[in-house]
Amino acid sequence: MSQLLDIVTSAAILYAVAAGLLIVFGVMKIINFAHGGFLTVGAYSALIVTKLAWNPWLALPFAFVVGGVLGMVVERVIVRPLYARPLDAILATWGLGIVLGQLITLYFGREVQFVASPVQGAVDFLGESYSQYRLILVIVAVALAVALALVLNGTRLGLQARAVIMNETLARGLGINSGVVRFVTFSLGAGLASLAGALITPLSSVDPGMGVPWLVSAFMLVLVSGISLLSLGVACLVLGGAQVLVSTYGNAVLGGLTIVVLAALILRFRPQGFARD
Amino acid sequence: MNIQKRLILALAVSSVMLAMQGASAADPIKIGIPVGLSGANSVVAPSVVQSAELAAEEINAKGGILGRQVVLEVADDGSGAAGAQKAFDSLIFQKKVDVLISMETSAARNAGLPIVSRGKTPYIYTSLYEGRSCNKYLYCNAPVPEQMVAPIVDKFMKDGAKTFFLVGSDYAFGRGMLAFTRKYIESKGGKVVGDEYAPMDATDWTPILGKMRAAAPAAIVMSTAGGAPNVTLTKQYKASGMKAMIGNLSVDEGTAKSMGADAEGVYITASYLTTLDTPKAKEFMAAMQKKFGANLKTPNDLSVPEYDAIYLYKAAVEKAGSTEADKVIPALATVSFDGPRGVIQMNDQRHAPLNMYLGQVQADGSVKVIETFKNVDPGEQCPNLK
Repeated sequence: MSQLLDIVTSAAILYAVAAGLLIVFGVMKIINFAHGGFLTVGAYSALIVTKLAWNPWLALPFAFVVGGVLGMVVERVIVRPLYARPLDAILATWGLGIVLGQLITLYFGREVQFVASPVQGAVDFLGESYSQYRLILVIVAVALAVALALVLNGTRLGLQARAVIMNETLARGLGINSGVVRFVTFSLGAGLASLAGALITPLSSVDPGMGVPWLVSAFMLVLVSGISLLSLGVACLVLGGAQVLVSTYGNAVLGGLTIVVLAALILRFRPQGFARD
Repeated sequence: MNIQKRLILALAVSSVMLAMQGASAADPIKIGIPVGLSGANSVVAPSVVQSAELAAEEINAKGGILGRQVVLEVADDGSGAAGAQKAFDSLIFQKKVDVLISMETSAARNAGLPIVSRGKTPYIYTSLYEGRSCNKYLYCNAPVPEQMVAPIVDKFMKDGAKTFFLVGSDYAFGRGMLAFTRKYIESKGGKVVGDEYAPMDATDWTPILGKMRAAAPAAIVMSTAGGAPNVTLTKQYKASGMKAMIGNLSVDEGTAKSMGADAEGVYITASYLTTLDTPKAKEFMAAMQKKFGANLKTPNDLSVPEYDAIYLYKAAVEKAGSTEADKVIPALATVSFDGPRGVIQMNDQRHAPLNMYLGQVQADGSVKVIETFKNVDPGEQCPNLK
């Protein structure tokens, strides 16, 4: 039972981390390698909340806003001039990720730090005593998925975004300002990465390099799920579950490799991954 | 042409003169401190540097070593092997330090030792570790398993624990420490129901906690890399709701403080605790508080040996009358220093008999002394080293 909870909660964490990367990939056709950097920014936003002794829950909206605003600036200054050169844009985001890490090191120092957790200890859930915070993470991830689905399917911007995802040239021909769509998407993606950073810190630690392993996992998950939020959910459950099982029955070192190796295998035998088409 | 030749000659002469100056007696003695300012150890590294700074300041105020001032060269080893190779290389061959004195992870120490041998530089290792690291140039003044494991395991068995679960970081320290612990538990009739290792920089302990839950041990002994992994493991253990007795072989008082209430009840063994009630320990604490004020990082069992070791080096250089490695190395075993941890002498196969304390972390992060063990012997460490 607790193993099932481990799998579901691990998948929820992965989903929260990868969602921002996926929507940017869908709309802009670039992998945002600064995703790990934005995630780190979110974690340090949570650290600021801890240092100011605010309510730890405030870390979540605060991180989202910080990441979103930073994303707006980055899209305007760095990514937009490179629209026509997607490969250069990918390189630029990679460099940006490094710059973000260095700036954080300059200001906050290299050391590992810790943030306050909004809830403490374990609760009884289905007859098991289980970490309260990890259970909350599941609720947050589901809420996130529902909110993203509503935005994409229920708003005008979502409609435009889907149009851009399907065929950008045609969408522009129909009068959709794809520049605005890209701007909003990138900012939202950065905000989500930052939110994910704030979400994962209470159970672990904060350091300037923390984003890299998450970026790798999120990257692999996005590659196997194409551009669908639903298939991302499936990918998180399957690969995250495999990671938990391998770590439990094999060992933790192998567990760390699971997502990368499995994703590569899946892409080898089923190039479209978890996407339906 | 002529002018050029003369210029070159002048340059050559001046560089020879510079080189000769380099050997003069007024030159400072350089102490290299490779330490994990980033990575796992970054939680404790600042306290190590502070200990070294106090020792250097005190020594310099009293005229230095053999009339030479002491200068510290701190380098970040990234808490691991790759960073340590760079740090040792630059300290030994570029900064040309006279000695290395530092607390590091075992991974960093093992990576640095071949460079130490090549550079023929004395190296005093000041971190508790898994033991049996032997090198012509290496001394250690901090605890080894023979001094750390028994108090915790004996206490748990006395309190009725029969089943143990071991968890650590996957490298020399975690594996070595827990291999010793397993042997000790089994020799006392206890049973090890599981042992698990996570990568050194792991932050997610979920699967290991799952196995722990399934094994349902009465007591758990942890031995991760010092600092960050300790905090994440303890936090996640606490959040999991399990309630076994916890002993930790690598948590120091400073790190315990940064865990807050999550560390409450954890048993540790240490050769130094801030609550030690000896004149030397109080004197040290007062000096640290005076020097660093509000910026003071809690002195702890990973930082105080650094302070002792710099004084031990001073005594050895003064006895040898030189900083030459061949003379300092034999002298290091013969000198002693009466410091915050009592009288320390590294005369036992390159290691030191130590006073050890069994402590329990309290809700406010302080450590209460449960039992004291005087002059615990480090056992067989390096029988083949002269």
